[in-house]
Amino acid sequence: MLSCILLVSIVVPFFGAFLLPVLGRVSRGLRPISALAFVLASLACSCLFIPSVLKGETVVFHMAFPLGLNLSLAADGLSVFMAITSALISAVIILYSFGYISHYENQNEYYTMVVLFLGSMMGLVFSSNLVFLYLFWEVTAVASWRLIGFFRERGFVQKADKAFLVTFLGALAMLLGFILLYRQTGSFDLSVVREYFQHAPFPGVVVVLVLAGIFSKSATLPFHTWLPDAGVAPSPVTALLHAAVLVKIGVYVFARLFVATFPLDVRWNEAVLIVAALSALVSAGAALRETDLKRIIAYSTISQIAFIFLGLASGTVVGLVGALLYILMHGLAKAGLFLCAGIVEQNTHTRDITKMGGLVKSMPWTAMAFLFCAVSVMGVPPFGGFFSKYMVIAGALGARPLAIVLVFLAGAVLTILYLLRAFNAVFMGEAPASPAKEGSPVMVGSVVFLGLLSLCGGVFIFYPSCFAQVAARQMMGAW
Amino acid sequence: MQMPVLWVPIAIPLLAAAALLSVPRRFLFAKEAVSLFAAALNLVAAWTLFGKEAVYAAPWAGLGAEFSLRLYHFSGFIMLAAACFGFFVLVYSVVFMRGKDHARSFFVFFLVSLSLTNGAVLADNLIVLLFFWEGLLLTLFGMIAIGRPQAFRTATKAFIIVGICDLCMMLGIGLAGHLAGTLAISAIRLPLDALGGLAFVLLVIGAISKAGSMPFHSWIPDAAEDAPLPFMAILPASLEKLLGIYFLARISLDMFRLTPASWASPFLMVIGCITIVAAVMMALIQKDYKRLLSYHAISQAGYMILGIGTCLPVGIIGGLFHMINHALYKTCLFLTGGSVERQAGTTNLEGLGGLARKMPATFACFLVAAASISGVPPFNGFFSKEMVYEAALERNFLFYLAAAAGSFFTAASFLKLGHAAFLGPLRQELKSVRETAWPMLLPMLTIAGICVFFGVNNSWPLEHLIRPVLGPLSAAGHGSPGVPGEHMLVIVTAVILLGAFLNHVAGAAMAGSGLKAIDHIYRAPVLSGIYEKAQRKVFDPYVAGMKIAENFAKFSAAVDRKMDVFYDKGIVAAITAAGHRLGRLHTGNYSTYIIWAVAGMLLALVFVAG
Repeated sequence: MLSCILLVSIVVPFFGAFLLPVLGRVSRGLRPISALAFVLASLACSCLFIPSVLKGETVVFHMAFPLGLNLSLAADGLSVFMAITSALISAVIILYSFGYISHYENQNEYYTMVVLFLGSMMGLVFSSNLVFLYLFWEVTAVASWRLIGFFRERGFVQKADKAFLVTFLGALAMLLGFILLYRQTGSFDLSVVREYFQHAPFPGVVVVLVLAGIFSKSATLPFHTWLPDAGVAPSPVTALLHAAVLVKIGVYVFARLFVATFPLDVRWNEAVLIVAALSALVSAGAALRETDLKRIIAYSTISQIAFIFLGLASGTVVGLVGALLYILMHGLAKAGLFLCAGIVEQNTHTRDITKMGGLVKSMPWTAMAFLFCAVSVMGVPPFGGFFSKYMVIAGALGARPLAIVLVFLAGAVLTILYLLRAFNAVFMGEAPASPAKEGSPVMVGSVVFLGLLSLCGGVFIFYPSCFAQVAARQMMGAW
Repeated sequence: MQMPVLWVPIAIPLLAAAALLSVPRRFLFAKEAVSLFAAALNLVAAWTLFGKEAVYAAPWAGLGAEFSLRLYHFSGFIMLAAACFGFFVLVYSVVFMRGKDHARSFFVFFLVSLSLTNGAVLADNLIVLLFFWEGLLLTLFGMIAIGRPQAFRTATKAFIIVGICDLCMMLGIGLAGHLAGTLAISAIRLPLDALGGLAFVLLVIGAISKAGSMPFHSWIPDAAEDAPLPFMAILPASLEKLLGIYFLARISLDMFRLTPASWASPFLMVIGCITIVAAVMMALIQKDYKRLLSYHAISQAGYMILGIGTCLPVGIIGGLFHMINHALYKTCLFLTGGSVERQAGTTNLEGLGGLARKMPATFACFLVAAASISGVPPFNGFFSKEMVYEAALERNFLFYLAAAAGSFFTAASFLKLGHAAFLGPLRQELKSVRETAWPMLLPMLTIAGICVFFGVNNSWPLEHLIRPVLGPLSAAGHGSPGVPGEHMLVIVTAVILLGAFLNHVAGAAMAGSGLKAIDHIYRAPVLSGIYEKAQRKVFDPYVAGMKIAENFAKFSAAVDRKMDVFYDKGIVAAITAAGHRLGRLHTGNYSTYIIWAVAGMLLALVFVAG
């Protein structure tokens, strides 16, 4: 029964996405509501696995195909955690889109691509077959390519191409790695591959190839520059793809492959951490110089992704729990920031923070939501980001060189600087000549909801932390 | 033993704050009534809990971070003190904030601060402590930002400085937890080796930055001018001092068990001495009532750190006694500053003078509190300072010298402040000034009364509040209450105070006004250069730090742009060039194509055969 639900949670949004244009013909109002319904269905399905995960069980679905292309799905702690996080954030973002996208053309394309994206995301997190993992990975790339270039201006389309090409080339490298694994083990199935490498050393070239894919998707140095450029997309898209969900794919695959399936040895982990530390610093510095609000938040994402790598590569349970919580808390808060930026952009008609100011008077709710999300990203209690930041740092302390942890601490300091700078420039100080008004109720409601979720994530840390601990123990122990 | 009652002091102010947010604006006085009621209830709760012992624990974030609270003598004492100040300052604020913008936000932040302080004091787990402790960042930011129109800049400065220190503390907590294998404060015992020492330093950064010590101080004088005045009286003057020194004492007495022989002792004493002298020198030259007081709030923290840093029982008792004394007289002083601001319309000393005739009660409170902070017997500050002196002298003459010099300048600057604001000729524009309203006067008078009581009857606070904190440690014979035992030190103190007075009289006579009484120090050969640099904020670590951050940002943005050029231009150019090259191979020559085809087939054969 549960294994069928596993399939349903992927199929509903994946194929439902293509129904949306048809439903849009029936009624314009039906399209966004069914989009939301598909995502909520997926969220509900994912939530059904919580009891089994807490019992330490893994729900699997298997369908045999020739050439090792078996469709095998598994719902363990890690994948259910990712699925719930992605679906929850996507649902809020779609709700926000009701207000945001309503006066643009090509809504068919928009809703189809967003829901398709979520569907393939669900497929990706539940896949336990490397080929299907790759397939879903590429579908997300195609969907994000269309969504980034949604406004169809020449420069925008070029930036969409850039995003697609960088992540696509990374994915090709990863596919090559998978094929090498197949040649050695004769299977794409993760459990078989894992069995094989219990007794054999894991080939370094595969690590490098797969890491190229992961770093390009998770926008880590030196493959990161597509992410700030992708800020030309509509704000809910940037929130969905480039803060909350898409960039977490790379992190997820790292956790799935290199933590849960074939743990990397210390030297690889430290190499990953050095790259991540550089990424955290350079992007945080760039965020402090940038004047485009959405680019600031995008650089911030690059910087925060590095903290997730810090937790994952720490090799400790505390670090892993921290990394999982980081995925959740950062997703909520960063989606909130991007959506706030969308409201600000729609009402001031600019993204340049030097041309804004004093908006707290005209947009108090947006300002509050922005501040809540920003302090959560900074890691200030009582917001959820506090616990995740503490845990990734505490997990790495003692397990990894102190110097690396100190670099991340510097990154955390810069996080405070650039987020406060952005907040002050947009919401505080003198108001510009043209007065702005608050966004539409559904949009403001969505961002306030995300801000409150960030707060609740900290106050009620017991629940997500409990779940993340089960997932982390499962990853460290038997799969 | 589970005692959910420990939730009460955290919940009362928090629920009241939530209630304030939900009360519609049109209900006049509702916000004042709710806040007053909550602060009074909080005081009752703290009073009831004082002297009792209880623990509470509940599962929380997991992995060692359980929600554990512990009430014992020390935490009960700090909580009671915080509740007292909370109540007094709130009574004062009810009138002070009337008719001001953001009054409701002020009360909400105020109550949340009380709740967070109670939580941090009760915490028996380092994560719980940090959770409440760092949460104060938000109320700090909020309370400063609702001040003057550009106050958000100061709020940002405060947020960044305190936030960075809290991050250091977070690292220290992670390290301490890793080394000790537990996060329970009462169970941690760590040696001061390489990593333990690092953890110690990081935790101390957290503690002394909360106490407002140098070099983490520079936001406080700015906030004194920009934030609403009761903010200064409640956070930097009392709650933050109590919290910072409380945690410093926990670190040095419980977690690391410092001895006079360890390097940590001179480390703390040096920080204390530098803070005492450097901050008081800055206080000396201030021309604003509130700003002058704020530098003393920094300087006095130095005495507490020095006292605890001596690692001698008398010094620790003196440091803790000074903590509570300072909170009393500094809160009182800030409140007098608020009265002057509200009644006279300015706190700029150049625009004040002769207010003693118009505001006699305020002046009386000022006199008591200023005498206390200057260490004049028989007020409370005298007794705690004498204890710190005694311990400092036992460690090294230099530490004593710095502390005594601090006393001289403290007295000098308060003579100047009192003279400039309250004495001298009454200015024409201040003719209509009246005494401040009684709800504002009452807290000042009460606190001034406590200052006198804690001085004249110092055995009561020492026996009931301070000495039980140390427990058997203080049985060593030091630090007995009553008249200080070291008569020599008392005589030196008297000479110093007399010197400060004569210095003031002479300076005032020379310059012709109380405000300019210390100008001869300001213009002294070496000092004038240092002062000039200090006023350009050359020594402000925040300014230097922001410059570094800015340069780093420039550098990394350049790196980032260069990488982007590689993608946007480099790769595009490479592919275009490759296309041109390959295009040239297509010559249209039939035989060339045949050679290509044959070579390709050969390669395929080799691959298949291989």
